[in-house]
Amino acid sequence: MASTDTRRVPTYCYQCVAGPDLLTVKVVDGVATEVEPNFCAAGVHPGGGKVCVKAFGLVQKTYNPNRVLTPMKRSNPAKGRDEDPRFVPITWDEAFDLIAERLHRARADGLTDESGYPRVAASFGGGGTPQSYMGTFPAFLSAWGPVDMGFGSGQGVKCYHSEHLYGELWHRAFTVSPDTPLCDYLISFGANVEASGGVVGIWRHAEARVRGMKRVQVEPHLSVTGACSAQWVPIRPKTDAAFLFALLHVLLHEVPRERLDLAFLRRHTASPYLVGASGYFLRDRGTRKPLVWDAAAGVAVPFDTPGIAEELEGRFEVESIEIGPDQDVCGEGRRVGETAFAKLLAHTAAYSPQWAETICDVPAAMIRRIAVEFIEHAQVGATIEIDGTRLPYRPVAISLGKTVNNGWGGYECCWARTMLAALVGGLEVPGGTLGTTVRLNRPLSERLKSVQPGPDGFMAYPMNPTDKARWSPRPNIRNAYKAMVPLAGDGPWSQALGPTQFSWMFLDDTPPGLPRVTAPDVWFVYRTNPAISFWDTAALGQKMARFPFVVAFAYTRDETNHFADVLLPDATDLESLQLIRIGGSKYVEQFWNHQGFALRQPAVVTRGDARDFTDIATELARRTGLLAKYNASINKGAAGVPLKGAHGDFSLDPAGAHTREEIWDAVCRAASAELTEGAEVHGLDWWKEHGLATKPFPRTDWYLFPTLAARGLRFELPYQERLKRVGAELGRRLHEHEMRWWDRQLEEYQALPAWKDFAAPWEAAVTTAGGAPQNYPFWLLTARSMQYAWGGNVGMQLIKEVADNVAGHRGVIMNAKAAGELGIRDGDRVEIATPARSVRGRAVLRQGIRPDTLLLIGQFDHWATPFARDFGVPSLNTLATMSLDLTDATGSGADIVRVRIAKTKEQAA
Amino acid sequence: MTRWAMVADLRRCVGCQTCTAACRHANATPPGVQWRRVLDMEFGEYPDVHRAFVPVGCQHCDDPPCMDVCPTTATKKRSDGIVTIDYDLCIGCAYCAVACPYQARYKTQKALFAYGEPIASEAKRHDDARLAVATKCTFCVDRVDAGIEKGLQPGVDPEATPACVNSCLANALTFGDRDDPHSNVFQLLAENQHFRMHEELGTGPGFYYVWDKAAE
Repeated sequence: MASTDTRRVPTYCYQCVAGPDLLTVKVVDGVATEVEPNFCAAGVHPGGGKVCVKAFGLVQKTYNPNRVLTPMKRSNPAKGRDEDPRFVPITWDEAFDLIAERLHRARADGLTDESGYPRVAASFGGGGTPQSYMGTFPAFLSAWGPVDMGFGSGQGVKCYHSEHLYGELWHRAFTVSPDTPLCDYLISFGANVEASGGVVGIWRHAEARVRGMKRVQVEPHLSVTGACSAQWVPIRPKTDAAFLFALLHVLLHEVPRERLDLAFLRRHTASPYLVGASGYFLRDRGTRKPLVWDAAAGVAVPFDTPGIAEELEGRFEVESIEIGPDQDVCGEGRRVGETAFAKLLAHTAAYSPQWAETICDVPAAMIRRIAVEFIEHAQVGATIEIDGTRLPYRPVAISLGKTVNNGWGGYECCWARTMLAALVGGLEVPGGTLGTTVRLNRPLSERLKSVQPGPDGFMAYPMNPTDKARWSPRPNIRNAYKAMVPLAGDGPWSQALGPTQFSWMFLDDTPPGLPRVTAPDVWFVYRTNPAISFWDTAALGQKMARFPFVVAFAYTRDETNHFADVLLPDATDLESLQLIRIGGSKYVEQFWNHQGFALRQPAVVTRGDARDFTDIATELARRTGLLAKYNASINKGAAGVPLKGAHGDFSLDPAGAHTREEIWDAVCRAASAELTEGAEVHGLDWWKEHGLATKPFPRTDWYLFPTLAARGLRFELPYQERLKRVGAELGRRLHEHEMRWWDRQLEEYQALPAWKDFAAPWEAAVTTAGGAPQNYPFWLLTARSMQYAWGGNVGMQLIKEVADNVAGHRGVIMNAKAAGELGIRDGDRVEIATPARSVRGRAVLRQGIRPDTLLLIGQFDHWATPFARDFGVPSLNTLATMSLDLTDATGSGADIVRVRIAKTKEQAA
Repeated sequence: MTRWAMVADLRRCVGCQTCTAACRHANATPPGVQWRRVLDMEFGEYPDVHRAFVPVGCQHCDDPPCMDVCPTTATKKRSDGIVTIDYDLCIGCAYCAVACPYQARYKTQKALFAYGEPIASEAKRHDDARLAVATKCTFCVDRVDAGIEKGLQPGVDPEATPACVNSCLANALTFGDRDDPHSNVFQLLAENQHFRMHEELGTGPGFYYVWDKAAE
């Protein structure tokens, strides 16, 4: 086996949100054979330059015999799960003709339909990862005009949804992370960082464990993260808010007050703001600024008066005005106000560990001990020097996982978590609770610059309007995020952060007040499979079947492109070309000390007739007459870097149809000029050789607190006056239009969130579906599989093989004793059922799970995807229901279902 | 005298199986043949349960039982501790697989590929010499030897280090010379409490498991 040509090609893997991982591909005689870490990147990558297990599937991904390797069109006009699409190969010319004809028709008919919704829709996979593979397709979408990107494939219910919205409001934390390298004590409520935190998460937490960080993992099943924690606390599902409230109670009512960071609370939060009888801030009658009580002068003054000593606790009668929703004056004159902190004290008085014990099924003493350990590790008053700057040091943090963060209870958990950090001054300081990504505020790539002064001494936030003049019941897209979810904002990510299940739910039953939800004329689908990855997947498939024209960028056949009209094979990871930004601070654990760019490049020749995404986008733009706008969009920065900037002009000729090499050569030059402030301009060839280039990213930029302090801004905690007002205004707008189907969600807009039975809606769903609750005694949960999550890699034999080494990948995890009581043995075939649906699989008996809980890892139950369709592993998604009752005010739902389990009849026999 | 050894730090391992996949890549083993893999183990009863991830594979024993039973001397132990199999001598009797207390040996009777027929990467690397013989972890001996020839240090320079160690996301696997006081392996063992698997059998494994700091 003499090899004539062996080379190692630098590239990246961004198959999940925890990427990118920087790797090299060994290519022997033109054949990709091995993946290895790019050892040259070890010095700049915060995870030691290592590469996630998913990247090792890329060689098989390239040569998978099940790939779609030529454009195809459907020859069976009937669509349905049981209909064979009878795809037949066509040329690219024919494929582009078919698509262009539909697009021309859509444009001729008007870019929006009779309901006002875009005729063109596009769905991409989670966390923005497809954007690291779709080349210049965003430029085509931008050139096209309105596109509905709100047909979800799991967004809002499979992410950290509440955290995305509230986290970004409170501390520019679209995602939240402990400052793991400095943290000493971490309470993790179901945050499965060892499965979803990627290489950097695993690397940093391993270092922290050996250093001595204690992590307490609170979750119903013993996940891989729980396995790597100092303690596992098996909490009852959906009761995390009670545990968190009890932690607040201990800190506020049992621990001596001086152990809290009172200076932080006084000066850097709204704790001293006075709240009036109607629940709104008491304001200065002249300036309308919120008032605080100055203990030194014994008078109420606007919060930003220099040299004051804000009183943290107490009730004061002050000359003031109280302003409610729609600028209504609730009262004016001498009015009694109570500090927000005093209201917080009263609010948490009843939430003792004893109270939480019965709710959470966790001993009160354990909750109390964890609270005390938290404060003991907080080191209130300590400082640390970071890059020559002395900053507060609070090495304690709390992280929240999926399902804790999603659906009912998400708001309460996020609020309590952020409050706990604030009580010890541990928010956005070294060692504490940090935000990493900013996605709703601009600029997206520079988090600290997104801190702009807003009302009442807080950061500005791009809330969707709720005032009478600007609120509209005619949404721009089908999921109605602008009308229903003020916190979602209206930026590039907002469409995917609305209630993305609404686009599907409302197709058959649009609620009163909204324009009838329609099927899009043209739907593009890339790196996503909503017929598997969302909920009620059978119904979703039926709805897709009604879409008139579906264009799927297809790797293999799958459950969503089964309903497509045209399949387009795009060049896969090791075949295609793109430059992306790396580093800085992004995603959960992704704090880097460097930032820059990395290139994905063809390591091997593209197989079959697959085409690079950039070439596909360019040809679509040409055939739809949008080339000038498309090139203009690339020039403006749609490929990740503006081509004209302070350090050079690398713009493309707007009139031309450029090759992918021409386009990315220009991007490479602009990127290297940006990176070196014009000192070096490197073209594509240089980047192909080097793979990446970076410059230092200051570690002080990991922390938001110094920026807030420098600008005199306060964290918008504890009292959510703005949310209370926004909720009241939204309620009025909806009721003015006879829209009362969102009333339950409106109740979530509480200034101080109260405990509710957050599990109740899922129990009620059993009754709604015609079942008796006592017959469905188990909570079915899911958890991410590191080997599969986000990867779209279920067709990789290697991934299946190694994932199967991790418990739960072959069936449903169940408590061994609970199984024994039902006569279920390890490996038995079982049926898991709701009143409406059922799935079948094998029982995997374990000790590390609550007796009332079942766990289905990942998202399987494939019926069309080659290889995966033979797994025989069921999915929670098949059983989960989409409904308004299970949707919270942010538009989010949670991965939890009430079920029964039994041996299958055949097994029992 | 060099004694190559591997250390798995159980505080670090998260069971991600990246080492398993990297080994499959580096050694072109067929589907199901995992010279390196990680066990997912539970101890105790609910709610007092512990779950641990334990990397396993050939332990490169001082006194390898597999070598003793080999009728053809295909299995040998080098002076640096690495246990090898000469595929030309192996007759595939599988005595060694039975004798190994660590279940580290594989025997593949016929060619196996991920999707039935060999894909390009498999076709490029398939080796008939590996069929019907015993195979197992080699400590990536070819990398180690080639690296040393180039003046590189196994366990430090990636090119001279086993693929599983290079790939480990948690820095849980370490390779080096157990007898060199300056080596990473020596220092890890000196600073931490550790054990070897089935030590009572007297096989003298060259694979150590670290689980906590050494007592002060």
